[in-house]
Amino acid sequence: MDYKSDPNKIGKWERFFKWVNGEDSIDSVWEKEMRSKITGKRKKRRKTIEDTIERINSYSKKIYIILSVFITVVYIGILLYTVYELPEHGNPLNPANNEVSQRYIEHGVEETGALNIVSAMILDYRAFDTFGETVVLFTAVICVAILLRRTDEDKTDLEQDSFKSDRGDILKFAARLVFPIVVLYGIYVIINGHISPGGGFAGGTIIGAGLILYSAAFGDEKIKSILNYKSITVTTVSCLLIYFFSKGYSFFTGGNHIESVIPKGTPGNILSGGLILPLNICVGIVVACTMYGFYSYFTKGDI
Amino acid sequence: MIIRAVLASVFLLSGAFVFSVCVLGLFRFNNVLDRMHAAALGDTMGIFLTILGVIILSDNIYQIVKLALIVIFIWMTSPVATHLIGKMELLTSDNKKFRKGRNIK
Repeated sequence: MDYKSDPNKIGKWERFFKWVNGEDSIDSVWEKEMRSKITGKRKKRRKTIEDTIERINSYSKKIYIILSVFITVVYIGILLYTVYELPEHGNPLNPANNEVSQRYIEHGVEETGALNIVSAMILDYRAFDTFGETVVLFTAVICVAILLRRTDEDKTDLEQDSFKSDRGDILKFAARLVFPIVVLYGIYVIINGHISPGGGFAGGTIIGAGLILYSAAFGDEKIKSILNYKSITVTTVSCLLIYFFSKGYSFFTGGNHIESVIPKGTPGNILSGGLILPLNICVGIVVACTMYGFYSYFTKGDI
Repeated sequence: MIIRAVLASVFLLSGAFVFSVCVLGLFRFNNVLDRMHAAALGDTMGIFLTILGVIILSDNIYQIVKLALIVIFIWMTSPVATHLIGKMELLTSDNKKFRKGRNIK
């Protein structure tokens, strides 16, 4: 249908659809007519409109202040009421002191082999919970990749040059000193996750920060030899699959009262805690790749 | 023991004084570079004095080594970050004073 020759025949809906699709459906004559109508109306009404806008602004400011104070007071009241209704601190009859936490504290070390009870909880008793958290991170980085990933053809030459160029010598020197320390500390936090405070999430974040520093100091080219799109995808997915299958095996044997082949080890050693150490390493690698992926997608649009 | 406590408190108080000066400068100065100078003062001098006070108070050798490592780490990273922010401000600001120095690499 040739809508440009006869603007009256086009329906409102059709025009709306074309406008949504980005086609220029508004005929120039029709547009001019509408514009002249609108401006004519505007000139007449200008004074009254400005007056009303001022009035509305002053009203809305007052309403804004009143509403913000009101909402804040209501929320403070709700929270204070909740705190008031909470059971007394330290009372042994509190609902939180049930047999679940008692079991974790009393039998945690002998059942899991991990000295860190929090680590035993999140990576042994409730490992699928942590698996869900890790998958959430993976999904987040996939969404960022869908939205922000650009191929080399999309980039301008200027952008590519700006990422190739070296940064200052001061940053390079500092990064050369700090990067090994940061990564070593991250590995320590991950590997000691079942003995001391720490674990995969904390250590992975530290390693991710180290990778970001390396990429910022030495440019895009150097880090691409190790971390590119393919290697990051392969390591992340394989870590998630290892986590899923090993913990699935552990839960299967536990649920069916079959003896598991995984040794628990003596609590306190590095090689103890059954599956907690490998699961911590898997989580750490996924978190490190995710952190680096976020940084690199948001700055360069590509890993 | 008393001498140690007095010495430690002198260092801790002077560290707190440096931090308060740094916060005052951060809010009172007008230019970005001035403010950054004030903030960097707290990151280096203030942390050094405070941790020196804590080192004097502590008995355990491992604790002292850890605190010293904290100071070294912060002294390695914080001035570099300040330098980078200052360079970026110099390269991108609209202030006419800095236009001469634009071609710094």
